[in-house]
Amino acid sequence: MSEAPASGRGARGAAGSASAGAVAVDVGDLPLGGGALAVLRPALALLAPGGVLSVRSTSSGFSEDFASWCRAERHDDLGAETGPDGATTHRVARGADGVARGPREDGMRLPRRDGALLAADVLAAVPFPARADPGSGFAPRGAQVEPGGPAYPVDLVERDRVAPPETARLYDQAVAAQWDAARDVPWDRVGALPPALERAVGQTMTFLAENELSALWVPAKFLPRVHPAYAEVAMLLGITLADEARHIDVFLKRARAGGGGLGVSHVTTSRSLLSLLEQEDFTEAMFLLSVLGEGTFLDLLRYVETHAPDEATAVLVARARADETRHVHFGLAHVRHALAHDSTLYGRLEAAVRRRAATMGDAGVPPAVQDALTVLAARGTEPRAVARGHEAFRALLHEMHENRMKRLVHAGFTPEQAQTLSDLHTPNFM
Amino acid sequence: MSTIVLGAVAYDAKVVPIWEGIRAHFREVGVPMDFCLFSNYERQVEALLAGHVDVAWDTPLAHVRVRRRTGGASQSLGMRDTDRDFRAKVVVRKDAGVRTLADLHGRTLAVGSRDSTQARILPLHFLAQAGVDLARVRVLPFDTDLGKHGDTGTSELDVLAALRDGRAQAGAVGDLVWVTEQAAGRVDPARLEVLWTTPAFDHCMFDALPSFPQDRARAFWGALDAMKWDDPRHRRLLELEGLRRWVAPREEGYASLVAALDAQGGW
Repeated sequence: MSEAPASGRGARGAAGSASAGAVAVDVGDLPLGGGALAVLRPALALLAPGGVLSVRSTSSGFSEDFASWCRAERHDDLGAETGPDGATTHRVARGADGVARGPREDGMRLPRRDGALLAADVLAAVPFPARADPGSGFAPRGAQVEPGGPAYPVDLVERDRVAPPETARLYDQAVAAQWDAARDVPWDRVGALPPALERAVGQTMTFLAENELSALWVPAKFLPRVHPAYAEVAMLLGITLADEARHIDVFLKRARAGGGGLGVSHVTTSRSLLSLLEQEDFTEAMFLLSVLGEGTFLDLLRYVETHAPDEATAVLVARARADETRHVHFGLAHVRHALAHDSTLYGRLEAAVRRRAATMGDAGVPPAVQDALTVLAARGTEPRAVARGHEAFRALLHEMHENRMKRLVHAGFTPEQAQTLSDLHTPNFM
Repeated sequence: MSTIVLGAVAYDAKVVPIWEGIRAHFREVGVPMDFCLFSNYERQVEALLAGHVDVAWDTPLAHVRVRRRTGGASQSLGMRDTDRDFRAKVVVRKDAGVRTLADLHGRTLAVGSRDSTQARILPLHFLAQAGVDLARVRVLPFDTDLGKHGDTGTSELDVLAALRDGRAQAGAVGDLVWVTEQAAGRVDPARLEVLWTTPAFDHCMFDALPSFPQDRARAFWGALDAMKWDDPRHRRLLELEGLRRWVAPREEGYASLVAALDAQGGW
């Protein structure tokens, strides 16, 4: 029997070990229902089934209650001895029911980097499991889980299909890069533009917002399907949704800030975005949305930034592009990781792109969007300037194809596969 | 195999989901079972004896009555782990000056329903055996939910309330209610403490008539035994019914109840 700690109450012994060792606690004169349970229950939880806990008590009623409590909780009451000081020492063996699974995280201390604690270090310390059990529910990864919990309706339960190793690092970056749509755009620098140019800005912003609405809805659909053991994926998707919300916000504000208002939403765009929303496979959706769609969107944003008619437009598009770059990185990481672990994936992705292309037919960029992007690059409707704007738009299409090829190769496809996929990609950008 | 019809008493709304869940489990393991709900144990015992149900989920009082009515030939099919070694507590107010059982003389002792084994029949029986002259104790009874044999626990909570507000200096409750109320923080340890704990006795039992076929009895037990605490499909049912596992029957735990009913004329 160990001596009591200086406080007179508390646990000592095999703390930190799940082996069937022995632990001793002193509950002093606490009644069972007056605090003693708060000392002896955690001490018992440190033991494996069969492990023995010694409980010293000077409370008169404790012995009676302790035996009943052991019966109710299915621990084995091994009897008690009363010492010369009048204190009673009970011995109890931990019962076998409800023992939480998994090791305790005793001794874990996350590293500080310039005083910061990073999600990437959490992931390094507590890696994603290869498979996750739907029965662990919302238990945080690393927690000990009591068996017998209900199975959760999550189906993204394999690391290689959902959680690339870059996830936590991208989450850290995303958190650090958040900005305020109300204050971080110089809204007093919206230019007084000629009506045709302002309408072109409005049409462009309408198209950008429409695409970003799809980028808000599509990942949101998959978030509740991610097993909570891959929480960083859901957390990153959550920040991505906040990014998209901010983009929608600033695009619509810009359209309405200069007198032009919103433009038209076209059937071609609507049909294209519906085909994204209808994806049911997470990897296929991430590929179509983040690698092909948002990748192409980066080139479009750069184009609008380059030809922005005022500082407010240039800043908001540049900020959106920085966020979108992270989204594309996650999409690339996801697809690269999945391709490396699933030899059948390329075939499925190509089939998904073909199915989508078949539903789109020959529909290209809606004429109103083409015109708006041309007028934007021309800074107006003066004929020679429009000729330059037209060239700029053609160059954009070429650049999109080139960059798409690079991204596809970066994602792990062969140059031939990249060529096929890029050629099939919807000419409606997203 | 034909469907085993089980009787259970509807002492609480949760009885319906409990037996619907257990019925689904029985069917899953190939033992067709259905249940009938009764409003009280007297009616259920009569239905069992008349052959209207095959198995009755009985309180200890109902169980010993079935044993007696069948001349000891009824079949006991299984019980909860919690049904073994049940005890009752005599709880006292700390300010009442009750230090020994003899101090109960001249005091008020709150007890539960007259058909509650743990809160009335056996505590009074064991106290008398321990030398308490019950004629010199003012017994304050709470005859709530008669016919439910103490299943609802209401009369035990009435006993604790009477102790709390001073209507009684002592009271009898089952040990599970006592530790559950303490663990939930609903007992003021500065005011109440245990004076005495009764010897152990056993609680509920599945009863069947002597004519219930052996193969069906074995199938019934096999289905019970297949319920596991760590299986999410069974966990909630076991929690609601108050057990971790079903255990084999035994009769010796009812001897004190038989003696108490003989002594009290409680049959």
